[in-house]
Amino acid sequence: MKFRCEREQLVEALGTAGRAVSSRGGSLPVLAGLRLELAGNQLTVTGSDLDLTISAQIEVAGDADGVAVIPSKLVADVVRAMEPGAVQVTVAEGDAEIAAGRSDFTLRTIPAEEFPQIAGAEGDAVTLDAEQFADALKQVVPAASSDDSRPILTGVLLAAEPAGLRLVATDSYRLAVRDLPGTTVLDEGQQVLVPSRALSELARLLSAGGAVTLRLGEREASFDVDGVVLTTRLIEGDFPNYRGLIPESHPNSLTINRSELLDAVRRVRLLAQESTPVRLSMSPDGLELIAMTQDVGQAHEALDAAYDGDELTVAFNPDYLLNGIDVSAGDEIRLETVDALKPAVLRTVGDDDFLYLLMPVRVS
Amino acid sequence: MQATILHADLDSFYASVEQRDRPELRGRAMAVGGGVILAASYEARSRGVRTAMPIRAARERCPGLITVDPRMEAYSEASRRVFEIFGDTTPLVEPISIDEAFLDVGGLGRLVGSPELIASRLRERVAVDVGLAISVGVARTKFLAKVASRVCKPDGLLVVEPDGELEFLHPLPVERLWGVGPVTADKLAEKGITTVGEVAASGEGPLVAILGRGSGRHIHALAHNRDPRPVVSGKRRASIGSQRALGRRSRTFPDLEAILLELVDRVSRRLRNGHRVGRTVTLRFRFGDFTRDTRSRTLGEATGSTAAFLDASHGLLVARRDEIARRRLTLLGLTIANLSPADAVQQSLPFDHRSSAELDRALDAVRDRYGSSSIGRATLLGREGGLRVPLLPDPVGRGT
Repeated sequence: MKFRCEREQLVEALGTAGRAVSSRGGSLPVLAGLRLELAGNQLTVTGSDLDLTISAQIEVAGDADGVAVIPSKLVADVVRAMEPGAVQVTVAEGDAEIAAGRSDFTLRTIPAEEFPQIAGAEGDAVTLDAEQFADALKQVVPAASSDDSRPILTGVLLAAEPAGLRLVATDSYRLAVRDLPGTTVLDEGQQVLVPSRALSELARLLSAGGAVTLRLGEREASFDVDGVVLTTRLIEGDFPNYRGLIPESHPNSLTINRSELLDAVRRVRLLAQESTPVRLSMSPDGLELIAMTQDVGQAHEALDAAYDGDELTVAFNPDYLLNGIDVSAGDEIRLETVDALKPAVLRTVGDDDFLYLLMPVRVS
Repeated sequence: MQATILHADLDSFYASVEQRDRPELRGRAMAVGGGVILAASYEARSRGVRTAMPIRAARERCPGLITVDPRMEAYSEASRRVFEIFGDTTPLVEPISIDEAFLDVGGLGRLVGSPELIASRLRERVAVDVGLAISVGVARTKFLAKVASRVCKPDGLLVVEPDGELEFLHPLPVERLWGVGPVTADKLAEKGITTVGEVAASGEGPLVAILGRGSGRHIHALAHNRDPRPVVSGKRRASIGSQRALGRRSRTFPDLEAILLELVDRVSRRLRNGHRVGRTVTLRFRFGDFTRDTRSRTLGEATGSTAAFLDASHGLLVARRDEIARRRLTLLGLTIANLSPADAVQQSLPFDHRSSAELDRALDAVRDRYGSSSIGRATLLGREGGLRVPLLPDPVGRGT
């Protein structure tokens, strides 16, 4: 294998594919490497941890076709450290030579035949608007769990609803639901569970805008964004029945300016240390935020708000609350509560496409 | 600065309780233990019997050794009474284990008397009220007080005055320094360092070169009697745990699962009784070749739920299933750490309808009233319960 290309292009491809490489070191040593395959002028760089696979394709000046697996972090560091300009890569007899300007590096390669062949998903291609999909992922993915002992909750549910596609994630403390009306990806009633890690990586790729092409298979999903293909294993199992958890009625409703609330929670959170909650004291006079940590101090802040309901104080984990306020759209949001222990719901006023449900902290 | 820190340590605790309650054992070489020696009387110790020694080996060294089964309730009760006396002596009591504690009596001087007088009254009260011998070391630092109590055992009192500290410390063997075990002692001996005085004389640099930065600095400081740690009373525990020795016979995986269930039940109940929640679950393993290691998992939020701890710890156990079978597990321990007060608990979405918090509360109430073996899981029926080692009372409601 032999090719030349611009350093910047190669750095980007190695970096993108390298994000799928597990830093923890998986069971297969070959997975610590990136697979480079050259066919004509087409170079494909692939990284994988078996669950997530990312392939980046770039145009290069190809000289001799071939395949090689090179240690991921090392090759990325070496190419990034080169002088800007053209880089030449030559692989022969187990060595990869990387040359640019007057630098010349030789890296030992990893036997390429051990690299697993991961096929992309087979299903029909559906094209989505990248910006809208990225926006939905930003709202939903943070609510997924990072606790591997509950694998189902580390996934984001993609479900076909009569009105369109729905994304749902929960870590059992909060739940985010986003609807994309008019988007049809799945057959009616169908749903899949996609690992949130894959979707976080996808969100990074989507930042450039454009379109994303989605394919769903039996066990995997593939997303194609501008020459980069991300393939992820799907999570098997049943997502919890979240519908029954969303309160049908709510006696109390607080309507408030979103950015004012966001800023105020960020301030008082400074005094909610050692996993103490932020308390929201709601009354017809408005909202008061209270945080106190024993032996540290306390913070109070009053905010103007329209409140309809009984006087009520509810405590929340400040991080969960902030995340919900942050990812809600619009200028005004509404917090609907039942009592101090039942799930509360955050919504954007005048927009039913996103809902963030969060469980209070019980204080005694 | 006066020597005001007391290290009080009950002598040969379990064995002393047995000798107290059974006069026929007094003056005899006797030990408490099942398969291994848990505690030996001074008479037995003088003939080479040591804690953790298999009983068979102990009998070889000390023919005629009398062994008795442990009575953990009696030891817990004795410990509780001794700690009451500690509490009467000064509010600054830092428990170390069931049979030892640090006490700071600074500031009591004008009211009660000198630290030496306070220490001798303490010894007298423990002897008269509880019937046990307790040795007390008195010094300016915790480290030196502990060394002093050890040197004056059994049934002794030793005050190390501030101007006599180094004179006392330097002739002692290096093993007396905290953190110096056989391996470190061997490394030091290779360089000709066998006494605390030689450690002090050698300087920090060479010690760091021999032992590494942390240990080198640590033992250098101790050899100069630099130990700034104060006596901390009412300190909440950083973790709470329990363990079960599995003996020699091999256990099936379902056996281990049942033992884990019992550990989780016990530890999570103690956690709730202490009004705490925890976030990190650690399983401790010891294998047939005496190697040990741990695996832990941190939950998204602190909880007191038996079901949540069981899920997490069972996952850790299952992940090592093959290794456990191959290397033969001899001890299984469970620790819950990352504790915080249970006065602010993140609620979970009720995904499943069994409300485990309500079940936990109901079981706790039954056990509080009728004892810990009054109600149990069907899975555990017919399985022998492990020997429960008495533990320090969990500090509840004292400070925060």
